[in-house]
Amino acid sequence: MILPDYYEFCCRVKIVAGHDALEKIPALLAEMGSKKPLIITDKGVAAAGLVDIVVNALKDGVTIGGIADNVPPDSDLKVVNQLAGLYRDNACDAIIAVGGGSVMDTAKGVNIVVSENATDLMAFSGAGALNRRLKTLVAIPTTAGTGSEVTLVAVIKDHEKHLKMAFTSYFLLPSVSILDSRMTMTMPPFITAMTGMDALSHAVEGYYCLQKNPLSDAHSLAAVNMIHHYLPTVTKNPADKDGRLAMAVSACLAGISFSNSMVGMVHNLGHATGSVCGVPHGICMAILLPYGLEYNMHKRGDTIGELLLPMAGEDVYLKTSKADRADKVVSLIRQMNQDLNEITGGRHARFFSEIKDRDGKPMVSREILPEIAKAALLDGATIYNPEDSDYEDNLLVLEAAWEGKPLDRNKIKKG
Amino acid sequence: MNITNGFAFICPFKTNSGNKALEHLPVELAGFNAFKPLIITSRQLAGWRAISTLKNAFGDSGMTLGLFDDVTQTADLNVVEQIRDIFVKGQYDVIIALGGGIIVDVAKIVNLAVSQKVADACQLSPATAIRDPLGPLVVIPTFAVNGMETSKYAVLSGKTFTSVHLMPDLVVLDPRLTRAKDGKTVAEAGIAAFGRTLEAYIAPDKNPFMDAYAFTAMRFIRENLALAVKKRCNKKESLAVANAVAMSGCVISNTDQNVLHRLGQVFQNTVHVHPGVIIGMCLYPLLDDTMKKGNSLVSNLLLLLGGDDKYAAMPEAGRTGAALREVYGFTYEIYSMLKGKMPQTIREAGIPQYLMDDVLEVINQEPDGTYLRTVIDRVGGSTKA
Repeated sequence: MILPDYYEFCCRVKIVAGHDALEKIPALLAEMGSKKPLIITDKGVAAAGLVDIVVNALKDGVTIGGIADNVPPDSDLKVVNQLAGLYRDNACDAIIAVGGGSVMDTAKGVNIVVSENATDLMAFSGAGALNRRLKTLVAIPTTAGTGSEVTLVAVIKDHEKHLKMAFTSYFLLPSVSILDSRMTMTMPPFITAMTGMDALSHAVEGYYCLQKNPLSDAHSLAAVNMIHHYLPTVTKNPADKDGRLAMAVSACLAGISFSNSMVGMVHNLGHATGSVCGVPHGICMAILLPYGLEYNMHKRGDTIGELLLPMAGEDVYLKTSKADRADKVVSLIRQMNQDLNEITGGRHARFFSEIKDRDGKPMVSREILPEIAKAALLDGATIYNPEDSDYEDNLLVLEAAWEGKPLDRNKIKKG
Repeated sequence: MNITNGFAFICPFKTNSGNKALEHLPVELAGFNAFKPLIITSRQLAGWRAISTLKNAFGDSGMTLGLFDDVTQTADLNVVEQIRDIFVKGQYDVIIALGGGIIVDVAKIVNLAVSQKVADACQLSPATAIRDPLGPLVVIPTFAVNGMETSKYAVLSGKTFTSVHLMPDLVVLDPRLTRAKDGKTVAEAGIAAFGRTLEAYIAPDKNPFMDAYAFTAMRFIRENLALAVKKRCNKKESLAVANAVAMSGCVISNTDQNVLHRLGQVFQNTVHVHPGVIIGMCLYPLLDDTMKKGNSLVSNLLLLLGGDDKYAAMPEAGRTGAALREVYGFTYEIYSMLKGKMPQTIREAGIPQYLMDDVLEVINQEPDGTYLRTVIDRVGGSTKA
């Protein structure tokens, strides 16, 4: 195990997991001296009945200071300010965020406003602008993928000024993350598949990118093992409670890994594809992950090969020669995409040309790939990628991922 | 690993480890909104060189440093009160504990006193309610540690304070300070961390988060402790062991599987023997008992200690045995290098009978005291009631 010359690792979030983890919230709030939480969620989560489950679990233990379900799919400064007003008007003393990335971002934004008594959220953007503990924030993720229940970042958009504000601080980490199997039970198979692959991309990229360290590695290995085992089975049997819990736990492990070791090309190109074509993030991750591995193979072959043991078990590991292990990892991930494609009746796309919108129209045309390759140059995720990528390399990878062909590694410019 | 029954896990501290880690302190403290640290340490236990290295790391940061460098092995609540007074009167805003063992115990209780604004620290006791998070606490271990520095425990005059809020917010591991000066000291700390994490690692109710810390800690110790003991000024290996020791404090704060840990604490609190000495002795009886219970997780130790290829090449039926041979082989190597300086029985540790009676009295009060006695008996502890 390699000890880097220097590394930092931090995940201060308390993790509470189980089939009845929600019921522990009142006691957890009491421990932190909070009595009256504001629940922040979105309409989709509320319509799926998930907020009702949370409220039922809480109602005998705490006074709920309000339920706001108007978080938009894209975080919005106006909503943040409105919810902060609600928090103050109802004399709340904690926030419970129930939902995915946008809900978590919004809740973190509200927490800055109410804790710092801020009138202008912009004053706290960037890194290091926060320097004291915020109010209690309980994060309840409703997908098993993003890991935003353990990340220290929030992105809030000011739609009027067309500004995107990013906030980074250890103080943005939730106080507690609740991983409860009931929160993901109703997730449809194709969403289960893509969010699960998002988690896998965090675990795998976290394992080979430049800022990796021994603790992020251990979190990655555990996550890779569980995701490879549980994702296909849970996509096939959505009612598998134990599998749902395992996926929630592994997405959290993967979230801790990548938020400490950072991510690379897969996220770099994925962010760009998402912003240019509006493709859901999880799908981009699923498609690009094998290519990111192939692209970095000449620099990280042995490291990637180490993932074979937690993925495939000792039989396969032993039967595969050391030189072939990394390739085997790539083929197993491709096989996962293939299996998920079959389980979801084709909804889980395996390559970019397969992605269709609700009307059945292709979302990523071949002609738009140069634009994505260019947009990716502006994304920060490229800094931590082992190999330096440029426009040509980006396009090479995107084209292969569009067609669904393995990457021609001879064409990579090796730095 | 069975997670269906649910679990909770927390590691509240950030780890900064490696070259010039100390030089990051001004930035880290500013992140806590703290600009006037009080360093709590001991000239005698941590050494003046460590103190001056730490002071120099603040360079031209403009921060005003306070220093209390007079913590002794016998420090009690009166010392805590003395430091509390200095902290309040000097208007300090963060505590930095430099060193291990008692130094950090004192710093944790001072942090409790100043954060909860008690008028007299002598009034504090393990019964004191610790609810809200306390003020920021930075722990900078030197090579002489007992592994509890990063844990939720603080022991003063034989009394144990317990709360996750006592755990540090930041742990800084700098090779200039963690470099082992003598083999025995690093072996004691390493073996203590090894036993504590091993017991948690083979516990049936372990969770994947704790497992990640235990796994990493044990691998670091397996790969580095022998070299750190052998070549004493080996910076890299000593730093790896220090990393593992810091992780073990987190592990022990998240598990109830702590027979070795509790035995180590009883001896430390009662007869002032380093917990690593006792944990090292009791490791074999504990593993023996665990095997007899048919614990299948013992076989996983082969993967961890022997490496991927050794594990994969060994048929399943042989893995438990091979795992134990790995443990024995590893600890034998450490003990051999120390040439008898690390005792392997109670008799070798030179604990007189009258003190053993005190130890046994404490052990008898534990809920599983009868079992703990059987472990002690097997390492040559008295069977006298």
